Amino acid sequence: MSYNVLIVDDSRSMRKVISKVLQMLKFELGECLEASNGQEALDILEGKWIDLILADVNMPVMDGVAFIRSLREKNICGDIPVVFVTTEANENRLNQLMDLGASGYIRKPFRPEEMGAFLSRIMGEKDGFRMGTSVEGCDF
Amino acid sequence: MVLEWEPVLKDVISEILETMFFAMVEFQDCGRGDRCFDYESEIELQNHEGRIAISLQLSEEFARMITAGFLGIEENQVKDEDLQDSMKELVNMIGGGYHARINDAAWKLGIPRVWKIGPDPMHRAQAPVWLDFSFFEEPVGSAVLSYLPS
Repeated sequence: MSYNVLIVDDSRSMRKVISKVLQMLKFELGECLEASNGQEALDILEGKWIDLILADVNMPVMDGVAFIRSLREKNICGDIPVVFVTTEANENRLNQLMDLGASGYIRKPFRPEEMGAFLSRIMGEKDGFRMGTSVEGCDF
Repeated sequence: MVLEWEPVLKDVISEILETMFFAMVEFQDCGRGDRCFDYESEIELQNHEGRIAISLQLSEEFARMITAGFLGIEENQVKDEDLQDSMKELVNMIGGGYHARINDAAWKLGIPRVWKIGPDPMHRAQAPVWLDFSFFEEPVGSAVLSYLPS
């Protein structure tokens, strides 16, 4: 089974890095789509099936909080995991993301293998293979 | 909080460069920012009392090298937009790392900026003390934190 992934980050470099990390990890990658902010991501999600969203928090136009709020309010994507890959350190903001239905967050900087372990747990849980470990947050 | 910025920034910069940019730098005693580098990136943390600006200057050669490491490409494949975008991401991570260490939810992280340093000194952040660092004894960059009350 391969997964379609949407990477949402205003940094083109960071999008490239995440995409490369997924390939390095031998993540079963189908299509890898990119958006530079939440609004662009919503536009993509209207016409594409996505299995996993990896999103930044601090972005111009539409930030990560507004993005996930919009996803949930419009009931786009249902239970598709949304993982934030972020430098955000404000616990209130991170808790807000979790309350809005984020599957977890990965703090930058991160090591590829650590991102791999985190995503395995997230995708494992999605497919019914619960690992029994909290995946709320991950500080690398 | 701002008084102790040098050790915190050293720690944050080292961790990020080693983890995601595959480069280890050595810090010198604080300099005066009189060395001229090629690119500068900056991010602000803001609360109701004021702003903290974190500025990072790098030589083009070092910026190109770490961008190649970050993106997993050869140095000769690094385009100027890659270099500037990676410098923005680097200062973004530094700002986030600093924010995490001061652990104060009142501060809000801004959006990073980058520019090429021109001959006009107005294009460079002005500060009395800079944190200089080198790569294999070659000076490659400098960082500074400035606090600007509202």
